[in-house]
Parts: sequence; C-alpha cells; structure tokens
Amino acid sequence: MPLKWVLHWQPNAGSTVNSQILSEVSQCVESINGVKEGRWRATLTFYKPHTREPTQASEFPRDFLGISLPEQPNKYYLIIRGQRIVLEADSSIQTLMEKLQSYKTRVALYFDGFQYQLGDFQLRVGKVVPTHSENLRGIVMEVEYLPISSMEKGRQVMEEFVDIWQEALSKRSLPGHFVHIEPNFADYGLADSYSSQHSAVQYATVMAQLIATVQAVQSMRS
Amino acid sequence: MRLHQPQLHQPQTEETVPSAEAPPKQVALAMDRLGQAARLIADIRLGADRLLEALFVTAQPHQSTKPLHLFLKEDASMRQHFQDLRSVGRQLEESGVLNESLRSRSNSWGLHMPLVCPDGAVVAYAWKRQLAGQAGASAVDRTRLALKAFTDQKRRFFPHLDDGLDDQGTESDSKKRCSPQVQMANHHEELSDYRTLSDILMSLEKEVPNLRIFTYERLDWLKRASSLPSSANETSLEISKEHNLYSSNKLRPGSLSNVATEKIAVIELLFPSIFRAIISLHPVGSTDPDSVAFFSPDEGGSYIHARGLSVYHVFRCITEHAAMALQSFLGIRAETALHSLLRWVCSYQTIFTKVCSKCGRLLLMDKKAALLLPPVYRPYRQFSALEMSYTQPISSAKETNNDLAQAYHVGCFSEEV
Repeated sequence: MPLKWVLHWQPNAGSTVNSQILSEVSQCVESINGVKEGRWRATLTFYKPHTREPTQASEFPRDFLGISLPEQPNKYYLIIRGQRIVLEADSSIQTLMEKLQSYKTRVALYFDGFQYQLGDFQLRVGKVVPTHSENLRGIVMEVEYLPISSMEKGRQVMEEFVDIWQEALSKRSLPGHFVHIEPNFADYGLADSYSSQHSAVQYATVMAQLIATVQAVQSMRS
Repeated sequence: MRLHQPQLHQPQTEETVPSAEAPPKQVALAMDRLGQAARLIADIRLGADRLLEALFVTAQPHQSTKPLHLFLKEDASMRQHFQDLRSVGRQLEESGVLNESLRSRSNSWGLHMPLVCPDGAVVAYAWKRQLAGQAGASAVDRTRLALKAFTDQKRRFFPHLDDGLDDQGTESDSKKRCSPQVQMANHHEELSDYRTLSDILMSLEKEVPNLRIFTYERLDWLKRASSLPSSANETSLEISKEHNLYSSNKLRPGSLSNVATEKIAVIELLFPSIFRAIISLHPVGSTDPDSVAFFSPDEGGSYIHARGLSVYHVFRCITEHAAMALQSFLGIRAETALHSLLRWVCSYQTIFTKVCSKCGRLLLMDKKAALLLPPVYRPYRQFSALEMSYTQPISSAKETNNDLAQAYHVGCFSEEV
C-alpha cells in the first residue's frame, strides 16, 4: 500500500493547541490546491491491566495500545511500544478482550478530520480528542504518496513535500509547527514495503510525543 | 388529406404538433407508421381471403343472404384499409421514408429517416461509417464492410493468428540478414544496425542492474496484467516468485530459443518499487516498438498494457511524454528505435530521486494541472544510445554516468534545452 508519514503538531513553548490553528491548517491545505474529499477517523485506546491486587499492575506492560484505522475497517492493531511489538488482528478481537476482561480501557481518543486529494498525494488533517469530550488535545496530519509503497524509494519525495508544506504553513505565523518522527520500523520487524502496521506504529509514536508534550506543559505550570 | 406543411421536415401526426420534433422522435414516428402500414397490408390480405371465402360460399347451394352481408361488410372494411394505407403512405412519403427527398437534409443528430430499400429491407438508421454514406446499401454490402473492418482489426491486434501472410515473410528475411555477433563493445554502429531482439534485451539486462526484463506473447500478457496484485502487500520475494510462475519467456543465457523470440509481443521492464513499463512490438517478434506506457509497480488490472494509462498522475505524464519520444526515435532512425527507447525508459529509474536540471528541486507545482510532480521530462531529441558507453554499465544514480541524462519538470522544460 502507498507509503505514508504521520506528522503531529508541536506547539511552541508556552502555547497550546486550539481549533483556530486547526482551521488555519485546513485552509493552508486548500491553498496548495488540495481538494477536500471526505471525513476520516481513527481511534486509539490505552489499555490498563485488570488485576486483583493494585501492586500487580506494575508487572504488566503499561503501554499497551489498540488502534483502529479507517483504511482497514475489519482489522484492529495491538501494540506494546516498550517491547516493540505490533500485531494485526481481526476487529473481533475487541469482543474477545471485553469477554476476557484482562485489559480494560483506560482512555480512548479519536483522530478525526477531513481528507484532501492533491494529485498523487493524499492528505489527512485531524484533531485529537478524547472520545467523550470536545477537548482538543492535538493535531495530526497524514501525508500519503500513492504511486510508491517503498519507504526508502519515496523518502526524497516525502521530504520535499513536507518542506513545501512547512514553507506554505510558515506564512501563516502559527505558534508551532508539524514534526515528523520516524520510528525504527525494523525494531518492530516491519519491512521497507509500507503497510497498515507501519501506520499503527506511527500513531503510537505520535501518541507518545503528544503525552510528552502535555506532561512538559504541565510540569512547567506546576 | 394532405395537410399544409412548413418547409422543414415536420412529420404529421393525428393532432398537429406546433413545434418541430427532435430527430429521434421523427424516426420513431416513421418506424411506427411503417409498422402501421405493415399491419394494414396484413389486414388487407386477410380481408381478401374473407372475400374469396364469401364468394366461395355463395357458389354453394342453399345459402341465405349471409354471404352477401359478409361480402358487403368485408368490402367496406377493405376499402377502409386501402384508404388508411393510402394516408399512411402519404405520411411516410412526406417524412421522406419512401423516397430520398429528405436524406440530404439530415439533421445534426446524424439520424436519417428510415428508408425502404429496393429489396424490401427497412433501414432504420443510416450509420454513415458502416454504409459508406448510402442509406440504401444492401445487406451484402454491409456484411462486406463489416468483414473488412474485422479483418483489419484482427490483423492489427492478433497478427499471430494470420497464416502465411506477407508480414511473416519479411520477418524471417530480416532475421537471416542478422549476423550472429560475438564482439560487443567494439563495433557500436554496426551492431545497432544488425541487432536482433534477443541481443537488445540481453545486453540491456547486463548493463542496467536493478532492472528486471520479462517478455510475453500478447495474450499471455493480458492474463498476467489481470493477475497483477493491486496492492503491494507482498514482499519482493513473493513478487519474484510470481514472475517465475507466470512469465513465459525469461531471458537467461542458454534458455533463449529462436522460436520464443519470434513470438514476443510485449516487453515488461520492471524497476522494483519504482515503476513498470510495458512496450508492445508490432509485428510480433520484431524490433519495432508500437507503443509504451508507464505504471506504478503496485498497479494491477487489465488496463495495464502498452496503450493503457496509469491511475497516477506522475505515470500518466511520463506515458504521454514517452509517446512523443517513441515517435521521435522511430522518425530519426527506425532500426535503432527499440534500442533507444529501452535505454531512454531506463533513465526513468531516477524519477523519484533526480532533481530537475533547471530548478534543482524534486517536486514542483505544475500550474496547469495544479499538481505536485517530480521531473517527468527526460529529453529524447538528442538522445542517442550510441553515446552511452557499452563498456560501462549504467548503474545507480550516484554515478556520474547519469548526469548525461537530464530531467525536467513540465514547467521547466523548454525546446532550447
């Protein structure tokens, strides 16, 4: 499948993300001839182990995530970041987990927004919100280049696109910028040919970054 | 019963229609009336039978006035039928069916009024191309034209089905002319004149690493194209396994046979993860390229062929540019056209890495198409395969050999370059 980069919004020190930034970003996509196509949504769920004794909880992985992606409606992706494990499962595994009750949902988030077509590129801009609130926690952006599925062969094209994008966005003087961090896919046992597992790993990485950012802001305040 | 008609053809209906009707309606009305006329004629025949029957009955003895009533009744209905037939005939005449008075005044829809031919056939629509402009062409002429069109198509797209035609004769002659060459690097110009298809392909394979070449008979390629995976969930190992399974003529030294070369109609050039180019040869087994098209290596489906178009803009642009390049190679020197074309196609292995020779960037917004594209133009005018050194292989983009080949964005390309 076509290769994709997932970027996240890094607010400048001392500022936070807000919906004004989101609308500016969307307008910027349209200004570089992006054609709005439709909505998209991905969900990410943090799981916590369900244990009898509170002390036992620390023995189990705390970074166990479940991700559902819009391009794979019948699949569910499970990740343990600390151990670099990613697994593609049938979406019915969620039912299984509910029955087992071994891991419960701690918090769930939506990545939700609009999709744009720009020639051979497909862009998605999305806000990060908890499932039961409208509290904007972050902004993500997916950049997909459809003709290539090899990450190495498409790297230069993606880098140039992101440069062009950053340049276009910088004209709006927003308090922050988009960041792309490439996880080490080889650690997860993933190959050069892009797949939905790669997307799941990127989202997990983005999540870790967002948490780190929020925690940094909180520690600054306190 | 002739009603006054305006100059332009307006068919009469039972209720006078004030506005002109669209051509399909006129044609439909005319067809309707022809049907009516046919029914009236049938009624008349039936009536005639009944009259004869009545006459016969009267010849029998012991009859009442019943046959007389029958006769009178039938007579009245026959007269009515004739009357109706006359009026339908007049309507048809006026709308130009029974004569050709309105044929020249055909409307812009290209529809002609139905014509009753001398042999009784009703031609509903005059398809100009089929009937060579004559609405009255008979069935024989139509069949003859259709057969000719079919034979032309067959000869063009399925030449291997022809038995003992002239094409085959000239092919074998040119093969006999080719000398089996041994020295590769020393006689560039002589070689380019006498190379056979297998030589061209094998030397290309040796000189361009990273390139996979596959050859097919025409129908085999259609099967292969339809079975290509449309998503690249496979690893390169699986892809090579598939190629082993499906390709019929792989060029490995020692496995090439003359029979196989003569049947090659499609050449597939694959740069894994970069692009796939399909070149078709016509006639089969020759060194005459016919068309070329570029696709993403992840595309699959029956539209993947030398005259097909990729779904991705970058490969569509390259394909359009390649069509012009092909014509240029054929026009400059037809004998080396395939050789030049294949090497020119190979220069696109850097399509996603080589920056534009004019603006120095990889992606540029094409103003006309409002798209971001890499440099899709590679010049072909002065491209001569003979300039490429045969002793040095064309290797990766990092080597200076590739500086010979330049690349431009659509907007950066100008004729002077």
